[in-house]
Amino acid sequence: MSVQYMPVLWNRNKIFYDAVLLIAVGLYLFVFIRVAPAFEDVSKPIDGAILRMRAFGSCAFLMLTIILCIGPLARLDRRFLPLLYNRRHFGVLTAGIAAVHANYVLGWYFNFSPTDKYAALLSSNTSYGQVLGFPFESLGIAALLILFVLAATSHDFWLSFLGAPIWKALHMSIYAAYAFVVLHVAFGALQGPADPIFTGVVAASVVLVCGLHFMTGRMEAARERGEETAKASLQENGWVVAGDLDDIDEDCAKVVTLNEDERVAIFKYDGKLSAITNACAHQNGPLGEGKVLWGCITCPWHGYQYNLADGRAPAPFTEKISTYRLKLIGSTVLLDPNALPPGTHVDPVEIGGAA
Amino acid sequence: MSWRQTKDAPFYVGYLNAVPKPLLVFLSIFAVCFAGGMGLAALALSSTQNDPGSGGFQWGNRFEQAGLLELRPYPVFRVPADGTTPARTYMLSGQGKRGVFGPAKANKETPVNLRGVPVNRGDLTMIQVGKVEATEDGPTGFQPSDPVPLGRWKLSGEICDGKCYAGAMRPGRGLAHKACADLCLTGGIPPVFVSTGPVDGRTFFLMADKNGNLLGDEIKDLLALYIEVEGDVERLDDLMVFKADLATARILK
Ligand code: HEM
Ligand code: FES
Repeated sequence: MSVQYMPVLWNRNKIFYDAVLLIAVGLYLFVFIRVAPAFEDVSKPIDGAILRMRAFGSCAFLMLTIILCIGPLARLDRRFLPLLYNRRHFGVLTAGIAAVHANYVLGWYFNFSPTDKYAALLSSNTSYGQVLGFPFESLGIAALLILFVLAATSHDFWLSFLGAPIWKALHMSIYAAYAFVVLHVAFGALQGPADPIFTGVVAASVVLVCGLHFMTGRMEAARERGEETAKASLQENGWVVAGDLDDIDEDCAKVVTLNEDERVAIFKYDGKLSAITNACAHQNGPLGEGKVLWGCITCPWHGYQYNLADGRAPAPFTEKISTYRLKLIGSTVLLDPNALPPGTHVDPVEIGGAA
Repeated sequence: MSWRQTKDAPFYVGYLNAVPKPLLVFLSIFAVCFAGGMGLAALALSSTQNDPGSGGFQWGNRFEQAGLLELRPYPVFRVPADGTTPARTYMLSGQGKRGVFGPAKANKETPVNLRGVPVNRGDLTMIQVGKVEATEDGPTGFQPSDPVPLGRWKLSGEICDGKCYAGAMRPGRGLAHKACADLCLTGGIPPVFVSTGPVDGRTFFLMADKNGNLLGDEIKDLLALYIEVEGDVERLDDLMVFKADLATARILK
């Protein structure tokens, strides 16, 4: 294993994160299976295996909902950013909980029969042509397979092995998994006897996940519109007006959008300016939303760091990102929109020393 | 919500222990809401589940009687009247998702002693057969009664697998249970029609096809749905048999 995928070591925050995660999941399962049945109003309780399969299934569904909300929440309010950190553990745990759900289903509904349980799962209901009675289990299987693949490839080893674009594309299939799960319950549990609370929870989840993504989408679009002016004002042999010096806080950056998928982060520190690509080499995290710590640009997502002048991660790490040339005229910052190869050294612009 | 990072915004670095104070407060509140929210959601979802009814295995009330096995068209066990108790007909199932066609065919029309565990919901009783033995001291000269026709009926309700619905699984009905019921029927467990309206005071019917024969795959797409179907109803002692004409079946919901 090279230093490149050296895991960020355990520390208090990660332990705290995982502890909260385990407590919340443990509490959910405990209340669902042990506490709540005492408040039920039934002639005889439902079977334990069914209770547990419902507990684990709905738990995985809620966890998946929260995972999908963390991304847009962190964009809307930076204080949610720390939740992004260990989302890997969150995801792996979700896949595990969903697998327990599936295992209860197999061990109960598809067991005790002369037919092999896996064969029974795939063959016992084949009413694919109808909405009512549709074999909704198959949608759960699809979701579970995706969750497994994502959990198995969640480690940074796979990120560096597959490369960020493929890895990212692969992990976007989490949305497909969510869609499958929503359909799984829509064709399954929700078609049963009316259960307004579960219906409400599923509806709220869909509204929340879609709503938050819609809001962040609008926000990004507005940001891009603001940048149209920068694009339109190509001046001085293709230099772009990136804004005013005072727009940038010390040790922070301003992000300039050159086009759809090219953004540049201009950092101000120690009376100097440097520009690098906004996309972190780790998972394309928004570097411009990070800060300069100990002389390095620090990514807000997982804390990868880069030297300001050349976009190289400090030794022993080896990541490199693109740099850009800057010019300062008066208090106006100009940016050369042509990216330099990753790791190219560019002398920072001295703020006092400009003409 | 600025796209510009600012100096005052707290900045968290995951691999450091130090977390800016305002963030710490924010994250602690979030952690409490998250865990508490999960607990409340569990309470709300779990405590309001639909009543699965009172069906169940009657482990404490084991069944052992002498009588005759018949295929009508699924295996049933006919027990003669005894003093004040009238003659009875029980539906049968094997262990797990298995029927009892084997023993029923092997011991056709000879008196047997049948041991098992009743699974019961209201007036729906199915015996999970443990042991069938030919018996000498059985009911000699017992002639089970012929079915009494009760005419043609249009019933609405659900086709369930008789064993799970009787209480082997709670709830043993509904769409979540469709695949399981399908597997039960494939294994030879008799299908039962659970009607929303009674015929002669009874709402559970052993199902047969319109000619009184075994049902096949044509039942699968109708299973576990709320349907309406016509057919002839007849009575075998205390058991109702519904000879459903599946060509008239209509999915209501
Ligand atoms: C092999 C994969 C899966 C199978 C065979 C499966 C099967 C089932 C079955 C049979 C039910 C009905 C349970 C009942 O109400 O009695 C169910 C319900 C449910 N499943 Fe799955 N499932 C699978 C995967 C998943 C996954 C991956 C998730 C979520 C991440 C999930 C979430 C749920 C939820 C939320 C319910 C409703 C629980 C309730 O009734 O309250 N399932 N599933
Ligand atoms: S995206 Fe993970 S550290 Fe930047």
